[in-house]
Amino acid sequence: MTQSADKVLDHFELFRQPEYKEMLENKRKNFENPLPAEEVERVREWTKTADYREKNFAREGLTVNPAKACQPLGAVFAAVGFEGTLPFVHGSQGCVAYYRSHFSRHFKEPTSCVSSSMTEDAAVFGGLNNMVDGLANSYALYKPKMIAVSTTCMAEVIGDDLNAFIKTSKEKGSVPQEFDVPFAHTPAFVGSHITGYDNVMKGILEHFWNGKAGTAPKLERAPNGKINFIGGFDGYTVGNLREIKRIFNLMQVEHTILGDTSDVWDTPTDGQFRMYDGGTTLEEAANAIHAKATISMQQYCTEKTLKLVAEQGQEVLAFNHPVGVAATDKFLMEIARISGKEIPDDLARERGRLVDAIADSSSHIHGKKFAIYGDPDLCLGLAGFLLELGAEPTHVLATNGNKEWATRVQALLDSSPFGKNCHVYAGKDLWHMRSLLFTEPVDFLIGNTYGKYLERDTGTPLIRIGFPVFDRHHHHRYPVWGYQGGMNVLVRILDKIFDEIDSHSNIPAKNDFSFDIIR
Amino acid sequence: MTSLSEKLLQVFEEPACGKNLAKADKERKQGCTKQLSPGAAAGGCAFDGAKIALQPITDVAHLVHGPIACEGHSWDNRHSLSSGATTYRTGFTTDISELDIVYGAEKRLYKAVKEIIEKYDPPAVFVYQTCVTALIGDDIEVVCKAASSKFGKPVIPVNAPGFAGVKNLGNKLGGEALLDYVIGTQTPPFTTPYDINIIGEFNLSGELWQVKPLLDAMGVRVLACISGDARYAEVAYSHHARATMMVCSKAMINVARKMEERYGIPFFEGSFYGIGDMSDSLRQIARLLVERGAPDDILARTERLIASEEARAWARIEPYKQRLRGRKVLLITGGVKSWSVVAALQEAGMEIVGTSVKKSTKEDKDRIKELMGDEAHMIEDMTPREMYKMLKEARADIMLSGGRSQFVALKAKMPWLDINQERHYAYAGYEGMVSLVHEIDKTLSNPVWDHVRARPPWDPPNTAA
Repeated sequence: MTQSADKVLDHFELFRQPEYKEMLENKRKNFENPLPAEEVERVREWTKTADYREKNFAREGLTVNPAKACQPLGAVFAAVGFEGTLPFVHGSQGCVAYYRSHFSRHFKEPTSCVSSSMTEDAAVFGGLNNMVDGLANSYALYKPKMIAVSTTCMAEVIGDDLNAFIKTSKEKGSVPQEFDVPFAHTPAFVGSHITGYDNVMKGILEHFWNGKAGTAPKLERAPNGKINFIGGFDGYTVGNLREIKRIFNLMQVEHTILGDTSDVWDTPTDGQFRMYDGGTTLEEAANAIHAKATISMQQYCTEKTLKLVAEQGQEVLAFNHPVGVAATDKFLMEIARISGKEIPDDLARERGRLVDAIADSSSHIHGKKFAIYGDPDLCLGLAGFLLELGAEPTHVLATNGNKEWATRVQALLDSSPFGKNCHVYAGKDLWHMRSLLFTEPVDFLIGNTYGKYLERDTGTPLIRIGFPVFDRHHHHRYPVWGYQGGMNVLVRILDKIFDEIDSHSNIPAKNDFSFDIIR
Repeated sequence: MTSLSEKLLQVFEEPACGKNLAKADKERKQGCTKQLSPGAAAGGCAFDGAKIALQPITDVAHLVHGPIACEGHSWDNRHSLSSGATTYRTGFTTDISELDIVYGAEKRLYKAVKEIIEKYDPPAVFVYQTCVTALIGDDIEVVCKAASSKFGKPVIPVNAPGFAGVKNLGNKLGGEALLDYVIGTQTPPFTTPYDINIIGEFNLSGELWQVKPLLDAMGVRVLACISGDARYAEVAYSHHARATMMVCSKAMINVARKMEERYGIPFFEGSFYGIGDMSDSLRQIARLLVERGAPDDILARTERLIASEEARAWARIEPYKQRLRGRKVLLITGGVKSWSVVAALQEAGMEIVGTSVKKSTKEDKDRIKELMGDEAHMIEDMTPREMYKMLKEARADIMLSGGRSQFVALKAKMPWLDINQERHYAYAGYEGMVSLVHEIDKTLSNPVWDHVRARPPWDPPNTAA
């Protein structure tokens, strides 16, 4: 045997040994009733055709490789951005384990989150007892300043009433009466993670502004000059929010970041475990009602939240994940307009540097075709940036995009000659994208880690921008917003372009004629 | 063996050099060392010139005898491509240290040559002198001679220390090394009446390969290209060619002239840039070969090829002409003959608002005048500050220049296209002209220029500068 106690082979090597190769081959031949290799090859080739694409796009019931996550994931994202807040998910505990691992794999940080661990009897009799016990246990064990309750599908299907349950729990003494327990219903069978983010953000603000579920008087808005800022569900939240704070400080704009996740997902290794770190303080969350305006960086993450804010009498403003020069210009000018502050020279210089960098490298990106998938706002932001670079966002796809979003993307594409032969796909999945990449090939694919399967299948090089990015580390530390963020996106795209040139010219004595030092 | 100073004198007085021809006797004696002005930013040194002229010879080891700086900066950075051997891309240097300076580094050099021959066994080793090793008195010619006889392999001294002069002088000194030690030392397996040399073509971005199919179609064989994509043996037997085309006259005119003198190989100066110039060059090659006794059916064959290639190129440029007509170009070139590029751009319907003549000869300037009229805005040497001012005022749509001007152009908000040595696209031949026009069109239509030209939108007055 190849495998021996003296030298144990791992999974990379073990099954490449001759015995295993032979065994697997025999198993296939004798027991798997395999189709002839030519038939497999024929079907594989067929899936690359326009004929298959037509059938693929006619799919009605089945989603294959969806590019979206569920509401409760977004719910947890929004909740951890508040000071000392423990997200509490009412429902099955397996779901919660998913959210925690999902975030940990992306941010390389622990994510504190608990579940009410509903079981079969809870499903039959309702989850009230789980809520009562759950709140009491998590309050006692983890000493949070606030518990933000959201739900999984299970609790939603049986129709548990969070408002009533939390009230009962408080009456039963699970947590003190005045303890903050905002909540939101976040069923996974409606919307996606961006909807969940929206619901919890709205739930938390509503809790503070609207009399804390009847335990306090409603807040009266006394307008001040501050600006609230909401980032939305964002894989680059650590880098982005720090960049946004830097920009606000440079402009001397008084601001409140609502849902500040930049510290909780980037705690230092210094011997101290921080279950909660940073975040918007509860006081700031309450006082946010007095702000002059609220700005959302991602419209589709904050539709309901902004409606609530607008109802208080604030100006609300939503962007679509602005990336690049023109988009950042617009963002800064709105901040300047609302705050009455000037855009300082420091930022003008950063702008000039980004313009300079784009011009230096423009010939390499010009006319290149890209496929993009991701959340609706990210797609809009990246497509806008690509058009600005003279690239063509040939396919723009969001599984959680709707028709209205598709119209917006189309309008963006129509605004530039580089968007001429580009198309938008709302509600489609990555298997649709596969057909698109085969039938209308592009030079590069922009998407999250799951794009690597498309990269392998179709040979389209993947530029990892999005959420989640599991297989590359620390991208979340680098902003993609602001001029410096634009620079990061530019460099990430260029790096891949040059990697591609190198990898197509690096076989010695075969194709290395153009293997060059200078690109 | 001639000393460096004698060698310099020879090169200075190069009789075929257009610039020299135009000079009075007294002036000519001063040689072609343009007085360098200390403190003003300037180009490269003689070592660099020699290195870039010879480094494209692909199968030899290029060993730089000096401190790390010289090879460190010149190592494989010219996009000079090879269709085979890649030895030329490996950086070899003696990397001398303080001790070597005190005790001399000749032994170290000898050992380095030995190790190269033992480990790489190239057909030849080229040894480059540098300022420091020249100053301490290392005699590379003697070391090379000793190594050559010991190892039975050509070890070629390239005596062009940086302080000898400017880059262009170094190009010529590199050529002298070939004349002294390489050319005429081997015999080709066979010859044909259609064998030519191409001198002063470095196959940057594979430009030679865009021209070679045309020569193949004419039935012409490139016996040696000096030095793009060259093999040592080809250079060594290049004296058997029937005719020579001189591409970059500023770099290696001495090689072409001396080969004519020594071996009776006639040469002409031509260019691969621009449709008309490309055709002229093909005609000249055919004419020279016929004069040297080749059957004259090559003339008709060449005309047929030119007719079909020109028609094809024009047809491919046609769609761009509409988009480019009347667009204004500012041309700042280094080594490439500016008049040939001027003609090419005019072919594409563009207007030239100015061109640099820093390295042009009087003849070049006359041709530019001919092409652009007397109003021609000819630009002599220029500091970045002047260039910036000129760009701001020139009201051009695009600047074509080498990499070092790029950054000035951008700050002056001028769209820019790289046509110099570090460019990424090949612009030679009919194919190359189509590429150039395509790249200009691409550059002009890139959306980034809107940003480049405009002030930040919050910063009125928002006028295009």
